[in-house]
Amino acid sequence: MTAQPAAIGVRIATQPTDVAETEGVAVTTAPSKKAAIEVRNLSAYYGAKRAVANVSLDAPQRSITAIIGPSGSGKTTVLRALNRMLEVVPGARIEGSVRFHDVDIYDPQIDPAAVRRTIGMVFQQPNPFPTMSIFENVAAAARFNGIARTKAEAAELVERSLRSAALWDEVKDSLGKSGASLSGGQQQRLCIARALAVSPEVILMDEPCSALDPIATLQIEELARELRQRYAIVIVTHNMQQAARVSDETIFMSMNEDRAGYVVETGATAQIFTNPVNKITEDYITGRFG
Amino acid sequence: MSVDSRLLRPTAPGRRAVDRTIFGLCILAGILALAPLGAVIYFLIVDGLSAWSPAFLVELPGPITTPGGGALHAIIGTLMMTGLSLVIATPMGLAVAILIVEERTSRIAPLVRTAVDLLAGVPSIVVGIFVYTLVVLSTRHFSGFAGSVALAIIMLPIIARTSEEMLKIIPRSLREGTMALGMARWRALTFVFIPTIASGILTGIALAVSRAIGETAPLLFTALGSNFVQTDFSEPMNALPLYIFQNAINIGFPAAKQRAWAAALTLVVIVLLFNLIGRWLASRATVRGARS
Repeated sequence: MTAQPAAIGVRIATQPTDVAETEGVAVTTAPSKKAAIEVRNLSAYYGAKRAVANVSLDAPQRSITAIIGPSGSGKTTVLRALNRMLEVVPGARIEGSVRFHDVDIYDPQIDPAAVRRTIGMVFQQPNPFPTMSIFENVAAAARFNGIARTKAEAAELVERSLRSAALWDEVKDSLGKSGASLSGGQQQRLCIARALAVSPEVILMDEPCSALDPIATLQIEELARELRQRYAIVIVTHNMQQAARVSDETIFMSMNEDRAGYVVETGATAQIFTNPVNKITEDYITGRFG
Repeated sequence: MSVDSRLLRPTAPGRRAVDRTIFGLCILAGILALAPLGAVIYFLIVDGLSAWSPAFLVELPGPITTPGGGALHAIIGTLMMTGLSLVIATPMGLAVAILIVEERTSRIAPLVRTAVDLLAGVPSIVVGIFVYTLVVLSTRHFSGFAGSVALAIIMLPIIARTSEEMLKIIPRSLREGTMALGMARWRALTFVFIPTIASGILTGIALAVSRAIGETAPLLFTALGSNFVQTDFSEPMNALPLYIFQNAINIGFPAAKQRAWAAALTLVVIVLLFNLIGRWLASRATVRGARS
């Protein structure tokens, strides 16, 4: 191995040549900081209203990136732009670029469904398919996408996904029960298992714990730390303690004079929470506004 | 040393009187609404049961003046024509509802929706005449098939409208859940949305069946009626409402009057059975779907 430049701040200095080195290789030392998703000058509009202005950010591989900020600062809008779930909102459109490993996900040749299978999403309210069993909830999407073709493959995939989502031990004897019969926290982990079953590389979480009690919240946070070893995770949260607990990188967003969201500051979570550069960040972190 | 509290002040007697009067009027309106239903059920049971016998289900009617006889041909015709019209109207109604809701931004969706509304308002006799010109004149034959088409036209807007309402209430979170997994829209519809609203769709189908099964007018110029058991859809068929009509216009003959009452009771019991089956299916669909 040749001498490498110090790994600090490599997020910005990514070269396309690193791809072969990091992809699929188990990293034994510090997690690679190569970005899975790069956002440049993203502006999002709902009709004529600009909701997000000129956002640029990176979501590094095998890291948890938290987006924090006051209500209305466009956190969810940015998150949804990352897997083309924004455009399903009537009247929503974006400018700027979102790249997944150097591919523009908004390229006209690209199927939004393929983007969403690669960049999965977990929502604020757990949304298991109400008529399906626990097993079917996990198996269905994978089966429709041709990932699991036989019954045995499906059973194996379901077990693997449920284990990855830390739900297997609780539901292995009741896989035939309705997904809606689970508790809120279990439903959310079921939704995570369902997202994992289609083999994503990135998982977007939109305030995944805001409908959950503290114990279920901690379980989801632990799970996120587990999943971080294999996936890039971007999590939107209102809860600053949560961001501080789980994330490696933090992006702080706020609103400008036109009430459009923008990125105030990004950096390593420890740094943002202990030594923010920007006064607005500091005020928000210390609870003086927002 | 009494405590002066607004809680202790009496309510003005005028307000109580107004309250009681309005409540009384509501009760009266309720009784007035229920009275005709009660009367229908009463006479059906009293006159219908005295005219009815198990033989009514398995025999054919004799001459108009001869007492006894049954409505086997009409029962079979009703079940067959209602069944075929259900097979025609259910997929069409569902397809129309999907078009209206899932393609709501398209130009055709509001047109189709208006057309369905208008269709629901078309008098059933007009539907009969329409099918007469469309099917009977072109095949040069009255037939059970023509009758089924007419009944399907009666059913279509009911199924379409109830399915539309159900599709509309599918929560956004569920729609987004399917999209976030990269599921194709038709798969989301077939495997997630329609099972989720199955109980509502079944309720709509049960409503449509109840409505169509009692229709006489659309069958007059289409199925026409028959004096024999007919299982060939290309031939004229009898149906219970037609049978009631044919006997009721000969009400001067006591035997015909008896048969009309017995057929009316039979028809109402069949409608009731259909509704019970529909509800049972719907409740099964919800139990699988709902929490717990």
